[in-house]
Amino acid sequence: MTAEINPEIASMMRAARDMLMHEHSLFASLGIKPILLGVGKTSFSMDLPAEFADRTGQIHGGLYTLLLDSIMGVTCFTALKKLQPIATINLRTDHIAMADPGSRAICTSTCDQIVGDTAYVSSLLTAENDSTLLARSSGAFMIGTRSTPHEETTKGSRL
Amino acid sequence: MSTSFNLDRANEFFSETPMAHWLQTSVREENGPPVYRLTFHEKHIGNPVIRALHGGVIGAYLETIMQGHLIACAPEMSSIRTVSFSVDYLRSSKPQDMHAEVTIERQGRRLAFLSARGWQDEYSKPVALAHAALRTD
Repeated sequence: MTAEINPEIASMMRAARDMLMHEHSLFASLGIKPILLGVGKTSFSMDLPAEFADRTGQIHGGLYTLLLDSIMGVTCFTALKKLQPIATINLRTDHIAMADPGSRAICTSTCDQIVGDTAYVSSLLTAENDSTLLARSSGAFMIGTRSTPHEETTKGSRL
Repeated sequence: MSTSFNLDRANEFFSETPMAHWLQTSVREENGPPVYRLTFHEKHIGNPVIRALHGGVIGAYLETIMQGHLIACAPEMSSIRTVSFSVDYLRSSKPQDMHAEVTIERQGRRLAFLSARGWQDEYSKPVALAHAALRTD
């Protein structure tokens, strides 16, 4: 890996950040803030809003999956040497502790290895206030996928 | 262990779960096993350029319906908690509804293992397959 994020990818990530923070209802509602953005390593903090609660009033594990998939995807991008589309192949998450709605969490991710066109990423989600481990996750991402579902319908599987 | 599906109990679970509201989750029962539905909304899109359902949305949806399915099949159960969840993404999704079926692979005294299959156009072309271990009380 190089010491700095590829400038083309960094530019794309800035544009994506601006769009997601201001125009995407889901991500705008999560108040995502970057803490660390390095090559193959990122850390972001975010809100855990009550609209993503389970029926007991705690944050639903589905929000963990949503956040982890998103941040791990960004982390995968930071490790690429050139800008290419990516897609999640799979994701496994251990749900370790419940979180209160209205609290904030920190997601720290590492792109552990890229082998050919597959990136392996791992991540920890912790509570911002007391560092309680909420969830841990690992996933595999395909690098260099075709970019639109329409293409899939005309040319076959993205994978 | 009860394996009979209770539609009212599933609907009650979804109505009491804010995440299920956000996902716009519903379930119907016809002749076969219950079929779950995520009703598409723009907020479910991940990358606006690609316009596919966010992978995390698909995962959250499959996890939520596995919880609801277990509750609907086990009336004696008072609470459930996800221990672990995994999802494989088999093909690209489209900006449209997603259907799903859930199977209880094993239900023990403390743990239940479930699988879910999510599809859009055709059942035979699943978009995602998921597994979960749920802690029950």
